[in-house]
Amino acid sequence: MQGRNRRSFTSASQKGAGGSSRLHLKLLAPILIFEGLFVVYPIVKGILIALQQTNYGTTKWVGFANFDKMFGDPYFWASVRTTFEFTLSMVVVWLSLGLGVALLTNLSFKGRTLVRGLLAIPWAVPDIPTVITFIVMLDPNFGILNHIASVLFGVNHHILWFSQSDLAFISIVAMLGWKGFPFFGLVILSSLSSIPDDLYEAAMVDGAGTLRRFRSITFPALVPTLSLLALLAFIFSFQQFTLIYLTTGGGPGQATSTLAIYIYNTAFQYFNYNYAAAMGVGGLVLALLGTIVFVVVERRVIRARYLQEGLA
Amino acid sequence: MSSAVLSIPKYSAKIKWARRRKKIRRVARYVGIIGVCVVALFPVYWMVVGSFQPEDDTLSYPPSLFFKGFTFSAITSLFKDQPLASWIVHSFEVSAVTVVITVVLAIPGAYLLSRLRFRGSGAFGFLLLFTQLMPGAMIVVPELEWFRTLHGTNNLLALGVVYAAFSTPLGCWILKSSFDNVPNDIVDAGFVDGCSQMGTLRRVLIPLSRSGVVAVMVVAFFASWNDYLFASAFITERAKYTAGLGISTFIGNVVVQLYQLLAAGLIFSIIPVALYLFAQRHIVRGLTAGALK
Repeated sequence: MQGRNRRSFTSASQKGAGGSSRLHLKLLAPILIFEGLFVVYPIVKGILIALQQTNYGTTKWVGFANFDKMFGDPYFWASVRTTFEFTLSMVVVWLSLGLGVALLTNLSFKGRTLVRGLLAIPWAVPDIPTVITFIVMLDPNFGILNHIASVLFGVNHHILWFSQSDLAFISIVAMLGWKGFPFFGLVILSSLSSIPDDLYEAAMVDGAGTLRRFRSITFPALVPTLSLLALLAFIFSFQQFTLIYLTTGGGPGQATSTLAIYIYNTAFQYFNYNYAAAMGVGGLVLALLGTIVFVVVERRVIRARYLQEGLA
Repeated sequence: MSSAVLSIPKYSAKIKWARRRKKIRRVARYVGIIGVCVVALFPVYWMVVGSFQPEDDTLSYPPSLFFKGFTFSAITSLFKDQPLASWIVHSFEVSAVTVVITVVLAIPGAYLLSRLRFRGSGAFGFLLLFTQLMPGAMIVVPELEWFRTLHGTNNLLALGVVYAAFSTPLGCWILKSSFDNVPNDIVDAGFVDGCSQMGTLRRVLIPLSRSGVVAVMVVAFFASWNDYLFASAFITERAKYTAGLGISTFIGNVVVQLYQLLAAGLIFSIIPVALYLFAQRHIVRGLTAGALK
């Protein structure tokens, strides 16, 4: 559909406005120069910095020494592992929360618009207030969550949510889940509302129950949206820095040290810019690889699904 | 519903049962919705309660769930003890730079993606996607080195430029889907009426894509208002801190009490949340335009 749009438009424009063949260059130049200066050039510079080593103010070319170090660094691999555990958790948490909320607010009830608006608020709360609120709620001495946990489960109320290695990971996943679910819910909701009603009416006439309708109509219709959102969840959580850094700083030990955190600490706590730049290049490659794998798998899954449904 | 049906005795028991089940289902639905809302909004509620609670009540255990007293002392003491006001002004300055650059660059970018076909258009789209993929922490070191050579550290304008560099590609994609949604007939009518390409862009496409433009502005504003990573690397002078950076230094700071911390968080959230509620219609429409296809 998009392709057709473009073609018909191009033909009109070629007839209408003569001499506009260079228009795209004029439009392209500013954005290319800007992105080139402040995004592309820094990437190139990052590769160069990675190939150098600065010690006491003198900079030398050291070839691939920093990359060698990276491949042999157990902390690097630990942080890669943490990153993937974290991104996977976020994909699952965000998609299931988003789907749940979307299905719930897609029902008809009084005050639906209000509820939809209210549920979107966590998304609008910026990172730093989110961190602050969770730190206060999970404070080992005064936190409300400790109180709730001690009342419900009778546990000692000094729970160290952010400083016990297994709990810290879960706390961060929960915090991010809370902050991010409205975005996923909103997108799934808009996709739900584009499913034609007559499909459901026909299914009901055929005697399909709620579950059956979900399995045979709703879910297949949502698959393209869900797979796009899974990719976005991967990208968002791979990039996540602030919420982790300001709550645990990567700790306790290395328990929540994702790649982003490890690189930042290497640069700004141990002041090894060159090694941090090398890991930055490594991280970028990993992000790209992850995305490519995602896209390939998604295509396979979607195609298989459509073939199965006879929609291909 | 229909009393005529109910008066037939043979069916009345069945209908009663069906009605009761319907009622249970409706009650369950409302309970579920209210429960979800309570859990989802509790952190926000907790921030508000803590910000206006008298000092002693915030630091008591178990914490009370409701307002016990009401005071503005956390907020007033924050503004008195800390340079919060000037930090907020800085954040506005940086955001203004980001929003202006992003919108100015995203409009031609989106026009290129949506309406023009040229050699390398695929590569251009890919470049924009690739930039979007970039994790900030992976690039913060070279970016900082580059701005050191440009004398752009401790400089709010430079910080705004960095944010714009990362929000422009997303802006292009958001606006592209808005432009895509404008029917070709309307655009072609602009040409028939004698508009040039730029004329149709200005007089037809942009006015019809207002939601998209608003969404781009809001996304750019959020990106710059929310950032901690680049601000913490680029700004080292306390006097030049942005609000986010300044408030983050309160975390774990013994001078700042928990209730002041919450108040600072609340002050920082007011503008984005208000902006979001105000422009929600546009944002949702602008952001989901692409996903809907």
